[in-house]
Amino acid sequence: MMLLFWVFSVFNFTQAQDTVALEQVEVYAPALDRFAQGQKVLNFNIEVLQTYSARSLADLLQEKSPVFVRQYGAGMLASPSFRGTSAGHTAVFWNGLPINSPSLGQVDLSVLPVEAIDHVQLQFGSAGALFGNEAIGGSVHLGSRTAFGKGFEGKIAQTFGSFGQFNSAISGGFSSKNFSTKTRIFRQFAKNDFGYQDLSQPGIPEMKEDHAQVEQLGFVQDLAWNLNAKSQLKGAFWWQKADREIQPPMGSNTQDFQSDESVRAVLDYYNFGPRSVWNLKAGVVQDKMIFNETLNQTRQFFVATDYDFEYRADWKFKAGARATWIKGDLSTYSATDQRYEFYQSARWQSVESLSISLNLRQFANEDGLAPFLPSIGGDWSFFKTESQELLLKASLGKGFKVPTLNDRFWEPGGNPDLLPEESVNGEIGLHWLKSGLFSWDQSLTYYRMQVDNWIIWLPQGSVWSPKNIREVQNQGIEYQGKADWKLGNWTWGLGLSYTYSQALDLTTNPENPQQLPYTPAHQANGNLSAGVGGFSANLSSFFVGPRAIGTGNARIMNSYQVWNAGLTFSKLTWGKVQFPLSFQMLNLLDKDYQVLYLRAMPGRSYQLNLTIHL
Amino acid sequence: MKYIFKNQLWAFALLFFAFSCNDDGGEAPLGKYDTGVLIMNEGNFGTNDGEVYHLDPSTGTLTQNVFELENSRPFAGLLEDMVLEQDRLYLIANTGKVEIVNPGDFKSVGSVIGELDQPRSLATASGKLFISDYGPYDVSYATPDSYIAVVSGLDGGTVKKKIDVSNKPEDLFVSGNNVLVAGSEEGKIEVIDAETEAVTKTLEVAGNPVQFFEYGGEVWVYSYDSENAYFQSINLSTLAIKGTKEIPLANSTSRVALGDGGQVYVLTSTGWPDYVDGVAVVSLVDDSVIPTWKTGSGFYGIGYDSERQEVYVANAKGFQGNGEVKVYGKNGSDVNTLELGRGPSGFLFR
Repeated sequence: MMLLFWVFSVFNFTQAQDTVALEQVEVYAPALDRFAQGQKVLNFNIEVLQTYSARSLADLLQEKSPVFVRQYGAGMLASPSFRGTSAGHTAVFWNGLPINSPSLGQVDLSVLPVEAIDHVQLQFGSAGALFGNEAIGGSVHLGSRTAFGKGFEGKIAQTFGSFGQFNSAISGGFSSKNFSTKTRIFRQFAKNDFGYQDLSQPGIPEMKEDHAQVEQLGFVQDLAWNLNAKSQLKGAFWWQKADREIQPPMGSNTQDFQSDESVRAVLDYYNFGPRSVWNLKAGVVQDKMIFNETLNQTRQFFVATDYDFEYRADWKFKAGARATWIKGDLSTYSATDQRYEFYQSARWQSVESLSISLNLRQFANEDGLAPFLPSIGGDWSFFKTESQELLLKASLGKGFKVPTLNDRFWEPGGNPDLLPEESVNGEIGLHWLKSGLFSWDQSLTYYRMQVDNWIIWLPQGSVWSPKNIREVQNQGIEYQGKADWKLGNWTWGLGLSYTYSQALDLTTNPENPQQLPYTPAHQANGNLSAGVGGFSANLSSFFVGPRAIGTGNARIMNSYQVWNAGLTFSKLTWGKVQFPLSFQMLNLLDKDYQVLYLRAMPGRSYQLNLTIHL
Repeated sequence: MKYIFKNQLWAFALLFFAFSCNDDGGEAPLGKYDTGVLIMNEGNFGTNDGEVYHLDPSTGTLTQNVFELENSRPFAGLLEDMVLEQDRLYLIANTGKVEIVNPGDFKSVGSVIGELDQPRSLATASGKLFISDYGPYDVSYATPDSYIAVVSGLDGGTVKKKIDVSNKPEDLFVSGNNVLVAGSEEGKIEVIDAETEAVTKTLEVAGNPVQFFEYGGEVWVYSYDSENAYFQSINLSTLAIKGTKEIPLANSTSRVALGDGGQVYVLTSTGWPDYVDGVAVVSLVDDSVIPTWKTGSGFYGIGYDSERQEVYVANAKGFQGNGEVKVYGKNGSDVNTLELGRGPSGFLFR
């Protein structure tokens, strides 16, 4: 779906004279849309992303998806947990480039501002065959959207908010028939001096957080040229720096400071044949993290190529290869790694109602071959009328994660003998779509997953060392529903989502396995919106169930539910210039909660967003 | 860790006091936590979930999270030491505070918060608190600014003075006006005058001193290095080392417990990468040593219940969640296994 945007933009200059374009559109779409049959995929539309433009991907995922986000405080480290897996079990891509840190094996969602990206897509379940390393619990796909033939476009946005929030963003772009450029610069600042009840002190006094200030600066440049009717060059560059005071847990008085600076760049060349697309991709990702005065730096270089083609109307194929060179200069070691992977996908589609895909990948690095990764899935539209469709989805796939550089080389403690973590995931889902005046889109998915060789760092005296120790069995149910209807002049929208996630630790106490720490069994979210004229209002809420802070019969943290509300007015204009306004109230009921034990979270806050669209 | 020894003395004193009270007509009935075993769970770094559990060994009843249960707020710190002195129980969190509770019912009676860095242990002298503190880390995680914090008042309050001492002070021992400090990193014992609040003398000792205890009418300091465990007796009037026992015991750790008849149980650990932990038994009577009385991995604390003659060996289970304790008879027989809190590290037998 997301690449459909690209696709339309790429081809809208040819569509008028070339009706074959639509087929090319299909070919141009990414693997997620073409070969992920039977897998659960979640897209966020542009309206949702606009609502979150002053916030981070962490907030979006926690409040609007079945993902649980482990947040270490306001604006602090936030790591995703898909289907009860760990942060490192999520592959994250930006414009097709894997951006997880090779030393840590994960990203911090707090330093991925929604402002920097145009689309977000989530894929659930093990998809090593499609996405390679780290796609065990799921994957996150972020990217820029390229427009052609739009002339000049510009935006200035300013957000004022509680606790010293002050965000500024400016973007400008120009696109002709064959050339497109877009530049955006942003600064996001929050003092985060929110009040909280300090549980660590006698009398539980009300304190002000005084060490959680965050400042992020970012620059994103997108460029695309249609070299000729058959080829395109596309590039994107993202520089970002986040300086954070690290909010200590209650009871600690640490004054740590962390700076994260990332440079990501990707260049794509596309060559479009009548029924094929050839893509050559090169990329660089550099992460520099300074914790207090300790420097950790990694660089990754990618070269990839793949070839997509159609055979008759019912077969589609893709084959490709990717090479990755990694260099890590960490505070205690320097190391390199080289990774090579070969992948292929095939999809067969009968008439209209059944499509099946088979994906294969072989990965190798300096430690040798990783396990061969297959996946198979199918979509079967078994009931279809003019206004309704029932779709059955089923898939089976494997995932894996090679040990991170820190796992292998950290001095002392790094364990060069670690095996890759491995997973198998199977799922079955029912999708019910209804169009018309009262339309809905509902899906119910059951999954089952087994993760083995899960790596845990354990103390060996004063030195901690990683081991392939844990085995986990996950299963769960994900319901997602949304409905849209009109009542008079009013447009209404309702979204509801519920997730049951069981993740049993088979290692600590095999006779009586318990739920993994910080893995809520129950999560839910809902959203109600109403719009008339240029006004719209929305009320949303998310619920996170009880979760343990450790293995065994460890302490259980209370569930919490947080409400947000917002108002927007989009019809304020002066000539061609638009001035959309939005006002949001976060944590409306001033709920006192913690996501992780003793990490204070902010109470009620307000945000006013002023935007000028030129 | 000093509570292991000192508090046994206190336990005897309390016991004596309790009995004498009973004789006088039971003016001061024993509180819920005045008997049994108080278990110190250090908690997990970054989680601050340190807590105290209580075990009644006669019934096997285990009470979790005693501090939170009695004070309706979590302990919220990493529990480094428990010290029972002056009818108060001092809970020392190396995350930067001391909570003071009434030992009978665990109700909070005071605290020292806000001016400490990494407190390790505590002693009372001249109506003041002396708190050993590593001081803040520098950029290379060294602690060049270690100190003893002085608080005037047994129920806590503000830090009045910080007395510079050698790096990484641990246990404290009070004799009259003298506060002895085990300076673990530089192998020193510093003597502080409790009245003038100044260091008056420094003794050089073998190994890294971590623990004082009393045995056979003498005050001893336990120290260790990679090859040996050392037990050095101190002449309290001249403030000099009187005698040194050098016991060849590789991989000794800071965790020890005094048993009966001059036996000392010492936790040993090869550390990474082999990581074999053990319990050794050293005799202060004939200097003999049983190097591997028990072996395993994950040992994190040790205690000796002199009333039941049982050895408690705590296992942190990798800090992933709750730890456990194995209780052994003096002869090494298995008595019991219990699930405890996170990072169980020591015991106080009351």
